Amino acid sequence: MKIILLRWSALAFVGLTLTVVLSGCILPGGGYGYGGEYYEPYGVDYGGWGPDYRVAPFRGGDHHPGGEGGHGSAHAYRAAPASHSMPSIPSSSRSGGSRSGGGSRSR
Amino acid sequence: MHPQRSSNLIDSIPNQIGPQRMQPGRAGQFLRIGLLAVLLCVACAVPVMAAPVHLPAIVEPPSQEHHIGKLIFVQLVTPDIAAAKQFYGELFGWTFRDIQAGGTKYAEAFLDGRLLAEIIHKQVPASEHRQPAWLSFFAVGDVDAAKKAALQHGAKVLFEPHSVPDRGREAVFSDPQGAVFAVLASSSGDPPDVLAAPGEWIWSSLITSDPDSDAAFYQTLFDYEVFELPASPGAQHLLLASDNYARASANTLPANSPKAHPHWLNYLRVEDTVKMTAKVVALGGRVLVEPRVDRHGGKVAVVADPLGAPFGLLEWPETESKEVEVPK
Repeated sequence: MKIILLRWSALAFVGLTLTVVLSGCILPGGGYGYGGEYYEPYGVDYGGWGPDYRVAPFRGGDHHPGGEGGHGSAHAYRAAPASHSMPSIPSSSRSGGSRSGGGSRSR
Repeated sequence: MHPQRSSNLIDSIPNQIGPQRMQPGRAGQFLRIGLLAVLLCVACAVPVMAAPVHLPAIVEPPSQEHHIGKLIFVQLVTPDIAAAKQFYGELFGWTFRDIQAGGTKYAEAFLDGRLLAEIIHKQVPASEHRQPAWLSFFAVGDVDAAKKAALQHGAKVLFEPHSVPDRGREAVFSDPQGAVFAVLASSSGDPPDVLAAPGEWIWSSLITSDPDSDAAFYQTLFDYEVFELPASPGAQHLLLASDNYARASANTLPANSPKAHPHWLNYLRVEDTVKMTAKVVALGGRVLVEPRVDRHGGKVAVVADPLGAPFGLLEWPETESKEVEVPK
């Protein structure tokens, strides 16, 4: 009796172990997502913004490009046409209402 | 009764494959048991392999909206998922749905039932000095086409295009200056273009060594319109727009920030940046950029969670110009 139980226990143990090992090999990183490799180097500086450092958009949609922007100055990017006013972020509420918050230009 | 029957059943099985039928010798017995074990484990492992991990869709119920170049999802990989959940839950009222898949823990973050973010647990080896950071996912129509364009214009692929059930297809790149970002073709459509509620992502900024060429790179990928914003000498601030909405800004790395490197920074909408910054500190986070008035008339700040992941806080007053900047 003892030997029989021992055999079945060994069978169950080996089966369970192999199942875990196989599953681990098949799902590296644990699934379908990016899997968790994105860490930044330690000690990176995210501050140091000077007083004129601005990152946000304008409010409303009637701002025109400042400086030399958009009119043939040498840039790597393709500047928006001068006729296009600078858009802002969406401002309509989630509950509905008309589209708003972008530029005054209609597309 | 039942234990007795079970015992009899167990006893009977080995007898059928017992010594009188398993001859010759013990080696044969163990070989058979071994084969049975392999069959058993394969039978168990196959369903595990086949079972898809069901991560929540970006938009539920699905929509037909698509907004190329819009930030539609963010993901944080952290060594302490419990601490991250506690921090963001208490700060913004996010709720979480835990998912365990193949040994990895996911926490899907929601606000009022809308999916906002995904937090993934991954331990950092003690020998590696790295810190968590939020990964930005921008909407595209075709991830493989985006990969091709990105490679042609100087990007690197950090994670090849792959499909995620119920979510879509995604890939992770670093842009030509080294800022890491992801693209996602959501199979459930993109979130609508509405004003973010407090506690939701409202804005993104790229802080990079060369905004000019980076703007050109992202313009290639997302067909952005690019507008030049006022800037002090030596700096450049650009606005990136699609669908006639501002999607992000591209900015020169701060001059007095020697350890900075190109990165994307995402901002959560708050009603009071000063109060929320204090709350961040009370919850164990840090302030990286003190609250300050920005060009929209509200205050922004940059903070880090207790594990070091940076993010922005941005007021977006319901009424025009909560605070007016004094012209210089």
